[in-house]
Amino acid sequence: MSELTNDNIEIIQDFIQESRDALEQLEQSIIELGRSEGDPQAINVIFRLFHSMKGTASFLGLRHIANVTHAAESLLDQIRSGQIKLEIPGHVDLFIQASDFAKEALVYVENHLNDSGMEDGAKTLTARLHGAISGRSAAKPQVPVLELSAAPVKPSQAPVAAPPVMEAPKAPAPPPAKKETEFFITPEMVERFIQESDELLQKLEHNLLEWIKSPDSKEVVSESFRNIHSFKGNCGFFGYADMERLSHQMENLLDIARSGASMDVSHAADTMLQLKDTLRNAIADASQGGSGAIIGLEALVSLLEEEAKAAAPPGGEEREVNRIGEILVAEGVVSAEDVVKALDVQSKPLGEILVDLGVANHDAVERALNKQSQKEEGAKPKTAAIKRQDIRVDLEKLDTLITLIGELVIAENMLVNNPDLSGLELENFNKAAQQTSKIVRELQELAMVIRMVPVSGLFRRMIRLVHDLAVKCNKKVELRLAGEETEVDKTIIEIITDPLVHMIRNAADHGVETPEERKNAGKPETGTVNLSASHEEGEVWITIEDDGKGLDRDRIIAKARQVGALEGDGSDLSDKAVFGFIFLPGFSTADKISDVSGRGVGMDVVKQNLDKINCKIEVSSTKGQGTRFVLRIPLTLAIIDGMLIRVGRSKYILPIISIRESFSPNPGVITISTDGQELARVREEFIPVVRLHELHRLSPDSKELSDGILIVLDTADGNIALFVDEILGQQQTVIKGLSKYIMDVGKVRGVSGCTILGNGDVCLILDVRGLVEATARHG
Amino acid sequence: MNRDNSLDSDLGDFDTWDDEDSQKNRYLTFRVGAEGYGLEIRHVTEIIGIQQITEVPDMPNFVMGMINLRGTVIPIIDVRLRFGLEPREYDGRTCIIVTILNETIVGLIVDEVSEVADIPEDSVEPPPRVSRGANSRFIQGLGKMGNEVKIILDVRKLLYDEDPDKAGQGEQENG
Repeated sequence: MSELTNDNIEIIQDFIQESRDALEQLEQSIIELGRSEGDPQAINVIFRLFHSMKGTASFLGLRHIANVTHAAESLLDQIRSGQIKLEIPGHVDLFIQASDFAKEALVYVENHLNDSGMEDGAKTLTARLHGAISGRSAAKPQVPVLELSAAPVKPSQAPVAAPPVMEAPKAPAPPPAKKETEFFITPEMVERFIQESDELLQKLEHNLLEWIKSPDSKEVVSESFRNIHSFKGNCGFFGYADMERLSHQMENLLDIARSGASMDVSHAADTMLQLKDTLRNAIADASQGGSGAIIGLEALVSLLEEEAKAAAPPGGEEREVNRIGEILVAEGVVSAEDVVKALDVQSKPLGEILVDLGVANHDAVERALNKQSQKEEGAKPKTAAIKRQDIRVDLEKLDTLITLIGELVIAENMLVNNPDLSGLELENFNKAAQQTSKIVRELQELAMVIRMVPVSGLFRRMIRLVHDLAVKCNKKVELRLAGEETEVDKTIIEIITDPLVHMIRNAADHGVETPEERKNAGKPETGTVNLSASHEEGEVWITIEDDGKGLDRDRIIAKARQVGALEGDGSDLSDKAVFGFIFLPGFSTADKISDVSGRGVGMDVVKQNLDKINCKIEVSSTKGQGTRFVLRIPLTLAIIDGMLIRVGRSKYILPIISIRESFSPNPGVITISTDGQELARVREEFIPVVRLHELHRLSPDSKELSDGILIVLDTADGNIALFVDEILGQQQTVIKGLSKYIMDVGKVRGVSGCTILGNGDVCLILDVRGLVEATARHG
Repeated sequence: MNRDNSLDSDLGDFDTWDDEDSQKNRYLTFRVGAEGYGLEIRHVTEIIGIQQITEVPDMPNFVMGMINLRGTVIPIIDVRLRFGLEPREYDGRTCIIVTILNETIVGLIVDEVSEVADIPEDSVEPPPRVSRGANSRFIQGLGKMGNEVKIILDVRKLLYDEDPDKAGQGEQENG
């Protein structure tokens, strides 16, 4: 890969992207590994992730990444096979370092398209990993640990480190099946095939892991089926008969699973995961111009057939012996040693074996290989459609598109509600307008979801954070995640990342006590931090909750007095008001400043960041039981269903989601409380009346409540009845933020943004929560 | 849709002066009350006629509200009120100068736009050190054009500077 073509750069970029995704999962699994003290499932996952990263890295000539991942993989393999006992935290730390190294290296690769600058880091880390490997008891034979050479390595020639017994690494097979129909397949097509197959296999791997987690999920099985099916189709199209055959068999097994037959899911999935690796290797071979042949194909196929048989409706017996080598050993046909030797031979390409045996010379084999790959250019026709599931798009383009859709909504409104049309008989126009409105509405909906991404990525990053913190502070903390699938706008994810890190840090460092303290308080030694996301009241709520010592009201009050934020003893303040002090700049009640947090520059920054997206923070805490923060993030960028209302000459939009009901009050329902607050009686409830004309200093048509309309607005913080002159009707509303200038020079209360009406006028959108809060303060 | 009442045409090839060098020492001059003022041309994006303004509550009195500029909502301030002068009916000559400072777009209401003028650097005097008027804080310099003197305004101060005499009155009624 010395010369970088655009295609190669693209492959590298894909590799970076994929590896980043993989690293996220990797971190999680490594921590899981440490926590579960060597869960074989976690080991397998980590192994696979390192393994696939190594494969691609060495293919791309990124040898430092390849070396490190390879060494990590080797160590894992030894742990997996029981030759090395997992050391916690020693080995776990090493894996984390390897993962960190990979992360760092990816940044380097992104900038330089090679990883030459990572040499030092790679050397140290590889040495440490090797040290961990050779440090084991010397009783068992040492598996050679190889350094990948500087020259680009052909994966087909690089021995795969200690392959699992069943995994039969690729090797150019004896003459591939002859193709009768030869038609032209360009190298580009093959390249695309390789990339696509790789993606499909990765997806399959993901599916299979999911399947193990939730064996009853039909969806996962169907998805695996679809992925392996497309894979099979592609292989068939390009004439890779062995891969086709194997994937076909896997597809069969999945089909059986799909039909509802009971089977040992984790076993079946595990087998298929191994076969997936086999396929991956074959693909790697094919990418180097090899035939993609699979040695021991028949054994693998029969293995799957067995698995399929075992899955017959009554439910299969647990089968212990499943590997051909193991079967042979069990039956006493061969010794275990022979099997290992045989596998060693098996893992070599046929050509090399022939050379080793002295029956052919090197050049002849090379020529044969070339010939072989040329012959491969044939394939039998097959109608498998090659589909790409997603594409990566520049965020800027997406933003422009969304802005344009917003403009379109406004333009459409202006057109349909054009004052020039009023009073005209427009049957055909209305029909066309309706059709247009429908399409525009669909476009809007699309625009809203197009930038949405699940919070899972953000949440998973916190696992690592909590793990590191717990180690640093000598605490036991478990992070539980919920609602990871909740989607929010991408920019929001970016903005809340830092605040969330701060808050999780606080929860783990200040909130959760040391194990001794917890024991003394009668709590389990391991503290819990819950991080969850959900949709509530048209907002996204992110909740951070710990079961630690809670906020200390008295101490906060004392500190508030000290910094001059509070006069008096504060005993009359609500908890909410007291906890509000923690958002003041420089406010910290921590006894000692740790290197993790406690400098008092946390929460005010959190608040500043969150204010940017109009996000509200709610704090609740019980001393000794824990603290709970709720981030209430409005769905910005959104197009909301609004209700257009009027007071005097001014028009406003109210979000329909907040409107409970509206009515024209007769004087009997209005009571005036002792402090002068008007209350409207709605059934058994007394709701404070807010006169919008007073709040915004407008001249209404009438100040008599009975002349206008009361709109009951509902929020979690309470209800108000908003007094307005008139309700004008419902309207799709594109939310536009208020100009920064307006925010800077004024103190806008009760307004969350603005929009442009059908006639082109600017109209303010009322912030219902703000209105309620304003009333609560004054009322 | 605001193009109709745009005054671009009055200013000839105004739109084409977008290159940095040609903007140097160029000022858009306008009139508020009896005085002539100037703004560096690099801060000016366009000039539009007066149009429907939506009021925004809880604003300083000189912030008139917001307008819809081809789909973008921009705030509008009245330079007259900013200077503490008496408000005056808007008429056919009243204009909104759309300015840009960093990334903030704000429209300025002025009584009348005059012309784009070249004022060479050596004709611009620094603002007077001592001044009785509170408005002197907006002044960036004094530009001499023949017999006339144009007061060159500092856009940032015009937009953001708090009036030392009136601090705290920001929330007064604007409707």
